[in-house]
Amino acid sequence: MDEEDFSASSSKQYYPYYPHPQSHPSATGTTTTTPTSIHHAFETSEFSTFSPARDLTFDFSGKWATDILLETATAIADRNSGRFQQLMWMLNELSSPYGDTDQKLGSYFLQALFNRMTDSGERCYRTLASVSEKTCSFETTRKMVLKFQEVSPWTTFGHVACNGAIMEAFEGESKLHIIDISSTYCTQWPTLLESLATRTDETPHLKLTTIVATKNGGVPGSSTSGTAAGSLASVQDIMKEIGNRMEKFARLMGVPFKFNVIHHGGDLCELDLSKLDIKEDEALAINCVGTLHSIRAVDNRRDMMISNFKKLQPRIITVVEEEADLDVGVDGMEFVKGFQECLRWFRVYFEALDESFARTSNERLMLERAAGRAI
Amino acid sequence: MMKGGFEVVHATLDMIQPHREPIWDFASVGFPTTSVAAAAVSSIPRQNLENRCINLERNELSDWVEQVTKKLIDDLPAQNTDTDDHHSRTLQAPADIPMLCEDSFPPSLLGDFRPRKTVTSSDFDELQWSNVNGGNDRGLSRLDEQGLSLITLLLECAVAISIDNLGEAHRMLLELTQMASPYALSCAERVVAYFAKAMSSRVINSWLGICSPLINYKTVHCAFQAFNNVSPFIKFAHFTSNQAILEAFHRRDRVHIIDLDIMQGLQWPALFHILATRMEGPPHLTMTGMGSSMELLTETGKQLSNFAKRLGMSFEFHPIAKKFGEIDITMVRLRRGETLAIHWLQHSLYDATGPDWKTMRLMEQLGPRIITLVEQDLSHGGSFLDRFVGSLHYYSTMFDSLGAYLAADDPNRHHIEHCLLYREINNILAIGGPARSGEDKMKQWRSELAARNSFVQVPMSSNSMAQAQLILNMFPPAHGYRLVQGDGTLRLGWKDTSLFTASAWTSHISR
Repeated sequence: MDEEDFSASSSKQYYPYYPHPQSHPSATGTTTTTPTSIHHAFETSEFSTFSPARDLTFDFSGKWATDILLETATAIADRNSGRFQQLMWMLNELSSPYGDTDQKLGSYFLQALFNRMTDSGERCYRTLASVSEKTCSFETTRKMVLKFQEVSPWTTFGHVACNGAIMEAFEGESKLHIIDISSTYCTQWPTLLESLATRTDETPHLKLTTIVATKNGGVPGSSTSGTAAGSLASVQDIMKEIGNRMEKFARLMGVPFKFNVIHHGGDLCELDLSKLDIKEDEALAINCVGTLHSIRAVDNRRDMMISNFKKLQPRIITVVEEEADLDVGVDGMEFVKGFQECLRWFRVYFEALDESFARTSNERLMLERAAGRAI
Repeated sequence: MMKGGFEVVHATLDMIQPHREPIWDFASVGFPTTSVAAAAVSSIPRQNLENRCINLERNELSDWVEQVTKKLIDDLPAQNTDTDDHHSRTLQAPADIPMLCEDSFPPSLLGDFRPRKTVTSSDFDELQWSNVNGGNDRGLSRLDEQGLSLITLLLECAVAISIDNLGEAHRMLLELTQMASPYALSCAERVVAYFAKAMSSRVINSWLGICSPLINYKTVHCAFQAFNNVSPFIKFAHFTSNQAILEAFHRRDRVHIIDLDIMQGLQWPALFHILATRMEGPPHLTMTGMGSSMELLTETGKQLSNFAKRLGMSFEFHPIAKKFGEIDITMVRLRRGETLAIHWLQHSLYDATGPDWKTMRLMEQLGPRIITLVEQDLSHGGSFLDRFVGSLHYYSTMFDSLGAYLAADDPNRHHIEHCLLYREINNILAIGGPARSGEDKMKQWRSELAARNSFVQVPMSSNSMAQAQLILNMFPPAHGYRLVQGDGTLRLGWKDTSLFTASAWTSHISR
C-alpha cells in the first residue's frame, strides 16, 4: 500500500550531490510524534544528531526568518550539512509565500537556497521568468506598477527626485533629449511633461528615447528563445501603446514631443549609442531607474557603460538603484556577507509591500514573486 | 468568543432538554436506526439528494475535480497494487458506467452520502467557476480554461510525486506557484495555490529526508476559532456531541469527560451550562483535557474552571500534555462511580492522538459510557495519490463553502484558508502518510468501532438532529449546507459532499 516510500536514494539521483548526514533521522520512519513542548506554543521533534537547544527557544513574535536564514547561510559557508538540513527543515515548515513578512522571506529564500544547493538555479529562474511572462499580460503588469505607485512611494520617490534634477539641468534649454533606461513603463514622464508645460519660458521640445531591455538576461542558447521572441512582440505592443498615450498626453499639455523606443536584447553595456539619434543641438539627459544593476560588475562592463555615457556628453545622468550590494560571491564568508545584504534589502522591500497593500492583494503577490525570482 | 457563543446556545439547548428516557437506553442500543430513521424522514431524504444533484445547484469545483481525477487515475500505469484493491477497482471502471467517482474513491471518503450520478458533456458545459454571490458571467470561459489547466497540472504533479519523480514535480511546481494565487476569485485557483505549496513543501522535505511537522499552536487555534465563527462545521460537531453526552449523563451525579484534543475548550461552556441547570441538579464534573502544550492546557483549564464556578457547578480539570495513544490507563484519573464520556473531534491539522491501535486499546480499557466521535470524511491512510485525490475533493468543497459566504479579498477568509485549511492540506500531503510515519492509520474510525465487539453504536437522537438544524439556521447560505441523518450518524456537508460525520458509541463494559 505504501509504495511512495520517499527513498532518499531516488532523490539523490536528481540531486546528485546532496550530502546526507550519517545518521539519517528519517530512515527509521520519523513519526509525527513529538515531545511535550517547552514553554512556547511550538513543537519540534527529536533530532538526536543535531545540537540543540538554541532552536527551541525562539518564538514567533520576533524576526525569526532573519535569524534562521543567516544561520543557514553560515551553515552553508561552513559546509555543515547536518545543521543545514535542520535549518532548512525548519524553514520549510514555517514559511509560506502567503503569510506574514517573515514567512514570505523564509519561503522565497528557502526556494532560492534549495535551487542553489541542487544546482538548478539557472534553469529554475528561466522557468519562473518564462511562466510569469506567459501569465502576466500587459494589462496586469501595468496595473501592478500603477497600483504599486498608488499605494507606495517606493518608485515615485525616485521619479520625483530625478525629474527635479533633470528640470534643473535643462534650465533654459529649448531642445531636450532624454535617454530613458528604466523599468517603470514611462510612468516617470507625465509629471515631467507637466513641469515642462508650466515652465515660465517657452515650452521646449522634448524627445524621449526609451530603451527597453528584453529579458534574455544574457543566457546564451537558452531553450526559452522561443519565448523571448514571443515576448519581444508583446513588449513592442506594450511600448507602442505607452508611446501613444505619452504623445496624447504631451499634446494635451501643449509640449512638442517625440517618442522613440529602442528594443535592446542582451547586456546593456553593449548598447550602440549611435542608434540613439542624438542631435548636436540637443541638451541630453540620461535617466536610469532600476536597470543598471543588471549589468554585471565584471570585465569592466560597468566602466564601459559609464564611458559610453560620458561620450555622449550629457548634461546630467540620473540613477535610481537599490541601496544594496546584492552580489553574493561564490563561497565562504563572501557568501554570508552577500546573503546578509540580500536579506536585509529584501526584508525592507517585503515589509514595505506588506504595509502598503491590502492583505489579499494580487498585485502585491506579483511584486513579491518578481522579488522571489530576483532572490 | 466563548461567552458570546454561549449566549446563543443557551436559547437553543433549552428547547430540547430530554424529557423522556434517552432513546439509546442501554438495552435498545443494538438496533439499527429504525425509530430514529423514521424521525429523520422529515429531514432531507436521500432520494431527494439524488434528484437534486442533477440540477445546477452543485458543487462545481468538486465536479471538475472528480471528472479530471477519474480520467487521470484511469490513465495511471498499474503500479503499486499490493494491497490496494481500490486501485484495481479503478482500473476496471470502464467509461460507460454512469457511476462516476463512486468507484474511484475509497468508499470511506464519500460514504453513502454521495449519490450516484451521471455526468455528461452537457453537464460539463454547465459548470461555472465563479462563486461569489452567485457568480458573474464575464470572463467565465477564460476562468474555466485557466482553472482546468491549473488543476490538470496539479494532478500531473501529484502523479509525478507518487512515482517519486521529484525533479519533474519540482519543475511543474515552479509553474504552478507562479500561476495560481490564493487571493483569486476562483476557488479552484485558491485551492491549487495551496496544494501546490504543500507539494513544494513535500519535495523539499523529501529531499531533506525529514518530514516532522513544526506547529505554531497559537496561530492554529486562532484560525480555528475564526473558522468556527464563519462556518457551521465546528459548532455542528460540538453541539451534536454535547447532546449525546448530555443524554448519556442523564441522572448521573459524578461524570468525567476526556477530550482528546481540547484546544481552547470552545465546546464545553455550552454543555456546562446545560448540566448546571438540568432538572436533577448539576453533577460533579471532572474533565481531562489532552493537548500539545501544558501551557495552553492550563490556560484552557483555568477558563473552564472559572466558568463552572460561575455556574455553581463542582468542577475539576486534569490536563495531560500527551497524546491519547501514548498514555496508559493509569494516567487517567478516573474514579469509581464516575460516568465516563470520551470526546474526539478529529481534524487533520496535526496528529493529535498518536498510534491508532493504541488509542483504540485505551478506549476499550476505559470502557466509557459514551464516545462521541466527529470525523472528517477524509481518509488519512493509503498511498499519496489516494490521499491527494481525496483531499483535493474535500478541500475544494470546503473552499467553495467559504467562498459562497465570504468575499474574495476578505482577510478573515484568507486567515482561515492559510492558517487552518492549508495547515491541514500540508499535514496530509507533506507530512502524513503511512510510509512516512510508519504507522497504519485506520481508514474510518466508526467502521473500526463498529467492527469491534467492545463497542456498540448509539444512534444520534432526534434532539441532536434538531440541534444541528438550529445551528445551520444561524448561517446565511444555509441552502448550501446539507444535513443528513442515516445509519445512526449525522452528517454535515456542503452541497453534495459530506464533510463531517458525527456518531456516538458506547462500551459494553461501561458503568
